[in-house]
Amino acid sequence: MKTKILMGLLAMMIAGLIAVPWIASYFYIFILTEILILGLFAASFNLIFGYTGMLSFGHAAFFGIGSYATALVLIHLEWPFLACLLVSMGASALLALVIGFLSVRLNEVYFAMLTLAFGMMVFAIAYQWRSVTNGSDGLAGFTLGSFGLGLDLTLGNPSVYYHVVLAIIAIAAVVLYLICRSSFGLILKAIRQNPERVSFAGLNVRTYRLVAFVIAGSFAGLAGGLMAPFLRVASPELLHWSMSAEPVLMAILGGTGYFLGPFVGSAVFVLLETWITSFTESWMLVLGIILAMMVIFFRKGLLGTALDWWMEVKK
Amino acid sequence: MSGIGAALLNSLDIGLLLFIIAVGLNIVFGVLNIINFAHGALYMLGAYLAFTLINLVGMPFWAALLLAPIGVAILAVIIDRVLLRFIYSRDVADSLLLTFAILLIINESVRVVWGSGIHVVQPPQLLSGSVELLGSSVSTYSLFVIVIGLLLLAGLWYLFNRTRVGRIMRAAALDRDMAEALCINTRMVVTGVFAFGAWLAAVGGVVAAPMRALDPGMGDKIIIESFIVVVIGGLGSFPGALLGAIVLGLIHGFGGRYLPEVNLLLPFLGMALVLLFKPNGIMGKGATA
Amino acid sequence: MKKTSMKKLLVAMTAAATLTTAGTSYAEDPIRIGGIYILSGSAATYGEFAQKGIDLAVNEINASGGILGRQVEMVYEDSQGKASVAIQAARKLVYSEGADALVGLDSSGVAQGMVPTMPELQKPLIITHAATPDVTGKLCNPFTYRISVNVAQNMKAAALVAAETDATNWTTIGPDYAFGHQSWEFFGNYLKDIKPDVNLMSETNFPRFGAEDFTPFIDRVMNSDAEGVLISVWGGDLVNFIRQANTRGFFDKDMEVMFTVGAATEVLSALGEEMPEGVHLSTRYWYDAYDNEVNDRFVKAYIDAYGTAPSYNAEGAYAAIYAYKQAMEAAGTTDGPAVAKALSGMSMDAPNGKVTFRAGDHQAMVSPNWGVSGPMHPEHGIRTLTNLQIFDGEKVARTIEETGCKL
Repeated sequence: MKTKILMGLLAMMIAGLIAVPWIASYFYIFILTEILILGLFAASFNLIFGYTGMLSFGHAAFFGIGSYATALVLIHLEWPFLACLLVSMGASALLALVIGFLSVRLNEVYFAMLTLAFGMMVFAIAYQWRSVTNGSDGLAGFTLGSFGLGLDLTLGNPSVYYHVVLAIIAIAAVVLYLICRSSFGLILKAIRQNPERVSFAGLNVRTYRLVAFVIAGSFAGLAGGLMAPFLRVASPELLHWSMSAEPVLMAILGGTGYFLGPFVGSAVFVLLETWITSFTESWMLVLGIILAMMVIFFRKGLLGTALDWWMEVKK
Repeated sequence: MSGIGAALLNSLDIGLLLFIIAVGLNIVFGVLNIINFAHGALYMLGAYLAFTLINLVGMPFWAALLLAPIGVAILAVIIDRVLLRFIYSRDVADSLLLTFAILLIINESVRVVWGSGIHVVQPPQLLSGSVELLGSSVSTYSLFVIVIGLLLLAGLWYLFNRTRVGRIMRAAALDRDMAEALCINTRMVVTGVFAFGAWLAAVGGVVAAPMRALDPGMGDKIIIESFIVVVIGGLGSFPGALLGAIVLGLIHGFGGRYLPEVNLLLPFLGMALVLLFKPNGIMGKGATA
Repeated sequence: MKKTSMKKLLVAMTAAATLTTAGTSYAEDPIRIGGIYILSGSAATYGEFAQKGIDLAVNEINASGGILGRQVEMVYEDSQGKASVAIQAARKLVYSEGADALVGLDSSGVAQGMVPTMPELQKPLIITHAATPDVTGKLCNPFTYRISVNVAQNMKAAALVAAETDATNWTTIGPDYAFGHQSWEFFGNYLKDIKPDVNLMSETNFPRFGAEDFTPFIDRVMNSDAEGVLISVWGGDLVNFIRQANTRGFFDKDMEVMFTVGAATEVLSALGEEMPEGVHLSTRYWYDAYDNEVNDRFVKAYIDAYGTAPSYNAEGAYAAIYAYKQAMEAAGTTDGPAVAKALSGMSMDAPNGKVTFRAGDHQAMVSPNWGVSGPMHPEHGIRTLTNLQIFDGEKVARTIEETGCKL
């Protein structure tokens, strides 16, 4: 019964999201596009953090590579959008394979530090390799051509782009969800709780971690590929450790224990930022206070706390 | 030849300054298993407090060196009592997140209180000027930094190895439950160590102030440098922090001179290489999965 | 219909119309201008300066009746120095806050990313700080204007100054990103044109942006046979650079030292006497260089309000607001495309003299100020500038073909 109510709520929310361009003010199309893309970014991060228990501080490397890949393909090859996204996913998966292979051997803090180091190395390369990436200024001036698959869509129209993003992210989220719910996902959760036990059961923990890392990386790359045309620019700050901190914050805000937690976190983060910056220039201060409260009192995040309470109450 | 000599002196100077700033981070991790992301912000506070005391109140540099770190340490005690006590029993990720939140709060507060402008702190009269060494001119203040760094190292070694306080801290680091069973008040040890780490960060800030322009972003710049130092040297080992600091100093000093196209990349490459081949750092605690 | 009732109806209708329009003009919405600047982090001081200049302009304009009879309201957004943040901020200002026009941009990277999106937003943007030549070059569009000096203009002036010295071997120390490299590139090309026998040394110096230690580069230049150095380091980095250079005796060497953004007030007030005398300093606007009514009024009002001499960033932002006033009143509306069109070719009286937005690329035909650092100013706590040079705006500007702008 409870799950039916939750499913109903979810369906209503999706209907609401589809209807946004007609029911909300124009600006919200941009806000929601951003929320969806960052939500996927955060959800991909949660695969390695919430499910597998690895805190990565370099996840933006994959997001950023996705952005740059799409930008470069659009500038130099002018391929249809879907093809660009596939290239983004491929590039980020490859990068995740390399970085992951080298990193998943390490534990906890060391893993965090190494992913931070790799992330910043990618940043440094993008920043200084001016001939390819245009350095600190980043790549701009690329326009979207066709969508691909023979579909004729004016991607330049923010409403149309929003619906495209919504569709792609919904599909990606479903795929990611199925992965999390599969036996593979269960093993990841087991690894988070007790890696030694899992390895005693005969499974290669490192391989599972690596596969999770690559999957997460490729979905982050997809998010990055969707972000570049939306922002009209691919710049090094998308690779910086401060960008890597965002999915961490969003996962915590929403709740790492539930699949949709990071999406909720993304919505909360972006909406708070938009509203609070209208009142004060000290948005970082407010964010810090909110984050501190969340970590101390609502460690399960907003969705996590709400759903846990709901499950308890409705027993 | 003067190129190498200058590069070496420069590296030592940068390295020891980094050591003074980063060693507190290392100690806090070593004893408390907390990564204090706000370490850079505490360093910045030390520098800004020194600026206020020296430029606005008119105190001499030495007075600021004494007072500003104490002020920051008191703030650290408050932070510990009010916020950090909730997460000591939780895992490292939570400490990273909470201290990151504290970083955001301190950063913005500094900008609100002191404004966005650039501020300069003068070195004390005694230490201004320069000397000729190894074929190039070195500022007296740089030599002071090197001396302070080495004194600090000696002092810390003495503290940890020869005093009761040090032994208590090491005990608490090795096995907190056991230490508690032996009636050591680990709550106080924890607050004390965190405050000590903050004190060290602030000392770093005051010492760095005459050498660096103060601006609201200085905390962010230093925290990543501190992480690199601590990783290369070894999390939890303060002689390691010195080694890590000197290595990073060398990377900046020589890399800046001879390899400018990759000078942004090199420190992180160094950090990654250490983590890949000697994750304990050159002298630290266990790391593999 | 009977004549008298017709008349009565007409009178009634006219009365009603007059009353309603009278009612509306009292309840008119204010004109909103959005400002996107760096308000946090290391470079927050620039955003703060811009706000100071803008607030001064807005208060003055509102006190004298506003624009088109409406009051002016500012809304600010922090770009954080990131193009990705700035673009969303621009969308928020235009779609959610109802901004009629935009001013802003401290960072060239941000400008490069944001300028191409202005035609979508259909609102004019006046750039008051970012100096990348491309925004009034290959990225130009009908909605983007710049009131401040760009790198090309500043470097042409620099080359003119450099050509008058005896130095033939030139090198540079600049931050390792677009600004540092572009400054050297433009300077070198212009100088070679004027004085073909100069030697642009192959050994150049580009410390990473935000590097806190410049001694390796200071030493390199001192040990080379450079006779002239073009230094484009700025802000906090420049403060660190000069202090470190002082201890190493950099300024005692017989070299022409040119600081392309050295006469910035935040640098001068931080350094005080530590800024050496006898070096070439430049800024986009020097408060003491202009002898006209607008500047006298502006400088006095600024010092009265804030206690310090106005920086170039404050002046550029101040002038931009007045530019909008003039453009909106000329167009008779706040409609984006109309205002953007009105700005084209428009001339206005700014603190730095008569400023014209060239129709071909929307760049203001202005000159940077180059001078030589002199004794400390008795009241303002910063060095004075002697041998001030103001160049003819048209002379230092590139030709339209050179900019690559196709409007």
